[in-house]
Amino acid sequence: MTLWFIRGLRRGVVTTRYPARPDASAASLPTPPSFRPQALTSQTADRLALICPSGALHRDRRVLVYDVGRCTACGRCAAEAPDAVIRSGEFELATTDRSVLIKKIPVRGEAL
Amino acid sequence: MTAVEPKTVPGEVTTFQVASPHLEAVVRDLAPALRLADMFASGGDATTLRLVWANDTVGQAGYVITETPLETGVYPALSDVAPAAFVEECEIYEQFGIRPATGKPLNRVMLPPHAGPPPPGLPTLGHKPETEPEEARAQHTVGGHAFEFPFGPVRQVGVESLYYGLVTSGEEVVDLYLFTWHKHRGLEWRLRGKTPQQALFFAERTEGLSAVALGWALAAAAEAATGTWVPEAAERTRAVALELERLYNHAAAMAALCQSTGLTVGQSAAEIALERLLRLNAQAFGHRYLFGVVAAGGVSRAPDADAIRKILPDAYGEFERAADALLGTNSFLDRLEATGVLTAGQAKVLGLVGPVARASGLAADARQVPGGPYGNETAIATGTAGDVLARFTVMLAEAAESVRLIGRFLDEGTAEGVAELPRTSGAGLGWAESPRGEALAWVELGDDGRITRARLRPASARNWRGFDDACRSQNVFTDIPIIEASFWLTVAGMAR
Repeated sequence: MTLWFIRGLRRGVVTTRYPARPDASAASLPTPPSFRPQALTSQTADRLALICPSGALHRDRRVLVYDVGRCTACGRCAAEAPDAVIRSGEFELATTDRSVLIKKIPVRGEAL
Repeated sequence: MTAVEPKTVPGEVTTFQVASPHLEAVVRDLAPALRLADMFASGGDATTLRLVWANDTVGQAGYVITETPLETGVYPALSDVAPAAFVEECEIYEQFGIRPATGKPLNRVMLPPHAGPPPPGLPTLGHKPETEPEEARAQHTVGGHAFEFPFGPVRQVGVESLYYGLVTSGEEVVDLYLFTWHKHRGLEWRLRGKTPQQALFFAERTEGLSAVALGWALAAAAEAATGTWVPEAAERTRAVALELERLYNHAAAMAALCQSTGLTVGQSAAEIALERLLRLNAQAFGHRYLFGVVAAGGVSRAPDADAIRKILPDAYGEFERAADALLGTNSFLDRLEATGVLTAGQAKVLGLVGPVARASGLAADARQVPGGPYGNETAIATGTAGDVLARFTVMLAEAAESVRLIGRFLDEGTAEGVAELPRTSGAGLGWAESPRGEALAWVELGDDGRITRARLRPASARNWRGFDDACRSQNVFTDIPIIEASFWLTVAGMAR
């Protein structure tokens, strides 16, 4: 056991400085999508809602409703419509208010 | 007897029709020579019973499926002939309401006992069980000085819901049974009507720690059903991801073994290796748990080969240093040796797979099936003692082999590529060797190319049935977490 104690001390601290400093590995993490309203047509919105496997997207008349809480960042929407969807790079999504996670994205050419 | 005796063809899946009156005799013939890998039902009113048999002999590895249309709501009690069939008999009763002809008591596997006959809303397949629910749970006898100690489903160690029914006389484990249904999600039910590509999302999440293996098995099943050929470079990409999955799982199992034996610094050392391997996954494939790599017909992305070549030696170095230190710690090894022993006979009768079976001397490994990217050069590590130490050493040898295989596959070439699956009907079986053992998937596609029935059989669904035997083999309470860590199973895989 003494050897393990010494081994532990010798190994030192290996944790990163996150959140005080950005974590280098964050760049390779999958992140939820970000939508470009100017490229988002109602047809595209319907297509995205259809392929989303976790039901995070649906169209409500003139807006695409995006529930970040249901999104698994699988990337299917970004692959389906790369013009209208990009990866946000955002992964710090915690909130105390569930409604903050519901985003409404206007569909192109139609007022919100 | 049947007119044609079912035989395996190396690297192939051979399907035979067996009439219901002959089924018991066929099982009696096949059980000594082959491993009963899975059993499931499909269909609605016209139910078909399928048994998947594996030949594990090196150079002969392949699968046989026997298909038996059932005209009535009963079939022969196959678990009396092949005990490996018992859990599936219980499952088929819950899903389809058909049961062995002897009327033997069955355990609840997927649905909770208090659920009764499946009400609307509970995921199930086929029609309702016709028998009252109290008959659907085998009774556990507690007598003499023994008493039952309920433990779980919420436990301090292990984030998954799992209930232990521990029967003990004070310290020794007299009997143990498990309730694994708390996190049943009805995944096979949810896959109906989905395209293979849509179904992959769910297959990967059936058992997140086997995302690549289950994804690969399901994709291969769909590819077999549609006659789709996957490019070799894409197959090698899948294999790289699968070996990375094995590496991080074995690191996690090592950390769990340290935790269960109270070796905190060792646990930290193993978790450092684990974290480095997970970060490597993220850099190589864009996801720490390798989700989204496998696609129906190929792979969605190629690995970052440079990142793997640069990071893997250091990450595996952490793993190796922790393992070497543990193998030099007598107080650790003492807890592992002669603990949770499973004999080769027990492992064979129960149809166990993966490191658990290999540590008992059974060299079953789905990577040996000819036709895949592995060829016949994969070194299969085995043990003989069948205890926790044997399972640990098998995992260490497998990790070293995984590193070698990753290097080989990268040298041979990996690439992104997806072959489009034709929209056609068909059925197929797929397999992959997950870190816990052979993962199987079987799909049946309708004319529109959508799934009409999918069967997912992670290795956990096989190996939990050996856990209680391992715990009963002259062990005490405090050995159970050690045995559980050495099995390294998931409840999710069982309660899919």
